Amino acid sequence: MQQEHNAQKTCWNCPALELRGHVDFRACGQSMRKFMSEGQAMAECKRRPELGLFDPSSITFEECPEWEKGPYGYQLRDMRVLILGIDGYLGWTLALWLGSLGFRVAGVDNFNRRRWVKEEGSHSVVPIAPMEERIRAAKEVLEIDIVFREFDILDNEKLQAFIEEFQPEAIVHYAECPSAPYSMVDFEHAAYVQHNNVIGTLGLLFAMRDLAPEASLIKLGTMGEYGTPLTGRPIFEGIFPADAVLHWNGREWSMGGELTPRDPVSFYHVSKVQDTFNVYEACKYWWLRSYDVMQGVIYGVHTDQVAADPRLRTRFDVDEWFGTVINRFVAQAVVGIPLTIYGSGGQTRGFLALRDAMQCMTRLILSPPEPGQYDVVNQISGVYQVRELAETVARIAAEEFGLEVEIQRLENPRVEADEHPYEVVYEKLPKQMGFDPQVTLEEEVYEMLKLLTQPHIRERIEAIRHVILPKTRWSGLHKEVEVLERYKVKPRKAVGLGSDGDREDDLKCK
Amino acid sequence: MPDKKVRVVIIGLDGVPYELIRDLAAKGVMPVLNDLFCEGALFKMASSVPAVSSVAWSTVITGENSGVHGIFGFTDVADSSYRLVFPNFANLKATPFWEQKLFGRSVILNVPSTYPARPMNGVHIAGFVAPDLGKAVYPPALVERLRSWGYEVDVDASTAHQSMELFLRKLNQTLEARTRTALALLEEPWDTFMAVFTGTDRLLHFLWPAVTDSGHPYHQEVVEYFQSVDRSIGQLIECLKGDEALVMLSDHGFEGMRVQINVNRFLLENGFLAFRQAPPRSLNDLAEESVAFALDPARIYLHREGRYPRGKVRKDQEEKVLQQLEKAFSELQVEGRPVVARIYRKEELYRGPETYRGPDLVLVPAEGVEFKAGLRAETVTEPATLFRGKHRGDNAFLFVRALASDWTVSEAPSVEDVKAVLVKLREAERA
Repeated sequence: MQQEHNAQKTCWNCPALELRGHVDFRACGQSMRKFMSEGQAMAECKRRPELGLFDPSSITFEECPEWEKGPYGYQLRDMRVLILGIDGYLGWTLALWLGSLGFRVAGVDNFNRRRWVKEEGSHSVVPIAPMEERIRAAKEVLEIDIVFREFDILDNEKLQAFIEEFQPEAIVHYAECPSAPYSMVDFEHAAYVQHNNVIGTLGLLFAMRDLAPEASLIKLGTMGEYGTPLTGRPIFEGIFPADAVLHWNGREWSMGGELTPRDPVSFYHVSKVQDTFNVYEACKYWWLRSYDVMQGVIYGVHTDQVAADPRLRTRFDVDEWFGTVINRFVAQAVVGIPLTIYGSGGQTRGFLALRDAMQCMTRLILSPPEPGQYDVVNQISGVYQVRELAETVARIAAEEFGLEVEIQRLENPRVEADEHPYEVVYEKLPKQMGFDPQVTLEEEVYEMLKLLTQPHIRERIEAIRHVILPKTRWSGLHKEVEVLERYKVKPRKAVGLGSDGDREDDLKCK
Repeated sequence: MPDKKVRVVIIGLDGVPYELIRDLAAKGVMPVLNDLFCEGALFKMASSVPAVSSVAWSTVITGENSGVHGIFGFTDVADSSYRLVFPNFANLKATPFWEQKLFGRSVILNVPSTYPARPMNGVHIAGFVAPDLGKAVYPPALVERLRSWGYEVDVDASTAHQSMELFLRKLNQTLEARTRTALALLEEPWDTFMAVFTGTDRLLHFLWPAVTDSGHPYHQEVVEYFQSVDRSIGQLIECLKGDEALVMLSDHGFEGMRVQINVNRFLLENGFLAFRQAPPRSLNDLAEESVAFALDPARIYLHREGRYPRGKVRKDQEEKVLQQLEKAFSELQVEGRPVVARIYRKEELYRGPETYRGPDLVLVPAEGVEFKAGLRAETVTEPATLFRGKHRGDNAFLFVRALASDWTVSEAPSVEDVKAVLVKLREAERA
């Protein structure tokens, strides 16, 4: 039988670990220092005080009765997870997902995302309920209790008080402004995004130092932190592997363990890079533990939990600021706006379906790093070119839903290469944490089209069609982007969705 | 309220050997002790086997051997697992003397391995290993006063890795705070008062050569430290009325260290021990083909079937494995000299209901040899570097100043006899 991915993790990885200091039997000495290279660490367990003082290396998750077998590995019983940004696209979906798995979930939000989208004159095209109603429905439909507090995490006093009250064992940090174009509108927007994201995260790190140092931080970064290195060198998972070597001037050095270069592609992405360094330093200074999640572009609308009741739906944005590419394509297809690709459409990115993102986050939560360990995962399930994605959406929309779909190439409002090499390394989640993608691109596009073609949602897309096309230029120019080319995708045979038939039409990962 | 029995004062000097304390007193470094020694009898005393503080002090305060009190070392392995635990006062299976009515109201300061503190008739401040001062003190209300006195359970020995000056400074600060605390507690009502100074042991681990070598760069500091200890004892004695019985003792002796033997590495290289991964993270990585493993300093346990999750040594194989181990260790030599002075079997050392949990063999090191049982050592032998002193089992000391003349102490006492001495002293009526 295959062993669970986290079976051999020990108390060092467990948030119930309470380090008590060290003893050094060579000098009959004790030290209250929790972290040192000399001597033997002594720990107590917050959940099993009857164990007394013990060596934290000597109990594995597999052996500990507090860690029970679950669908995504050993799961800490009633594990307390705090989701910052719980009202968002991912935050709400994750809350329901974790709650259904038996986690104890708490969340914080100040509803900024609802305000930012409103500022654009847009709304979530899938209607979402107010938080009170969401929580009530979660209880009624899924029997999940969610503890919620409304505040801005920049209010460090409130954040500290809530961390002290809830005592999280893992903290998922989604509470950032996630839009590149929003950060490029003008100075005020750029400064706002950077302050909100960077200072919010910094405050969280200090709060964790003082109140929850044993909790693991699952911090949402983005694949956009890396940019697209034109040399074509692999995009490693944040840190150079042990056998990476730098050659220069006839000499060579191991690069193993060093952070890889970042080349962010907007002021929003710069804020994420700054976060990366702040989190990295906090792990180094204070022995915090964190996964920095370089997440690809998420698409999709479906999990069993959000689909269980209209009041449980998560938001779905398609406007130029907050809509992500595949989601936006689907909405455009539904209301007959040509799918817009920038430049040649040769931009290549990593993507991940919503459901698979939830699986990844669960596995990360269940596989906490050791104290002081900063680690990075590239969280994607496949790599696609934007042009190919548009063609896939157009084809499924036409063949499965009878929609007339055009594709249009626009002048690129961003500063980015639209043809470039892209070799992403994404091994930690599948190879070390058992991540097994469950959703194909075609299946999820089909699910999205099924939902978005419903009349009441189609109407909501129609109502905001004026904010779908890009207006925000990286250059600062206030000028409509020009259409370069418009074309239709030639229909092909039916893809046979939902059957086990021929899948040769599936997009191939690069 | 104090009763009419003789009050008893016990002062511990952790790790100070008989020869050293006698010399320090006689040569004027410790004049208070010199005067005291003239008023009573000083003995060389045998420590526990192994000669480590947790076992020795547990034996001193209970009068029992490990087979009864259940403390076999600083570490143990929890039943039916490979969980390495640090046994403490909660695991002590015998009663410490201060929980007996005979000893009246007691003040107990810094006795090693008495953490966490628990309710008793008097005051208890546990000694190391005591990671949380809040749990080391009874009554708990005393914690804040201790903090205000700068009280530390122990000097942070890790400072010696950074700087010997820093270590010595911390050692002196710890002694000062301990003395201040002891003096304050002496003002409380008590029938039995016990204080242990543990800095002596820490000092000797790092600076043993500086004791005898007057040219050693830290010789003067070491001498001054013992002078400070002497002054502290003097201050305590001054607070007494003079009609108390007095016992002073160390829990084990000391000697210079020339080589460290990594016992588990030896077991590994000789096929007795194997791990599922290299380097092992803990005993949890013990492979099922292992027949024996060691815990500090040199307690050898058979990897018994039924006792450990992957244990494979059957009852009918035990004798053969024990003989193989005895032979292998007897033959182990460094620079042409055996490293083992004696090998004890479990039944020679332990008597009592906890015996089954004890090690199957305990190695007593030859002179200058230190045994250690770390799992990740890469060589069997390591030269002494930072750690220059090591425990010795046969040269602890015991001093008794009795008020009556009808008491006796065996000519060759061991730590197991101390409790009986205390009982005898305490049973006497005050004049």
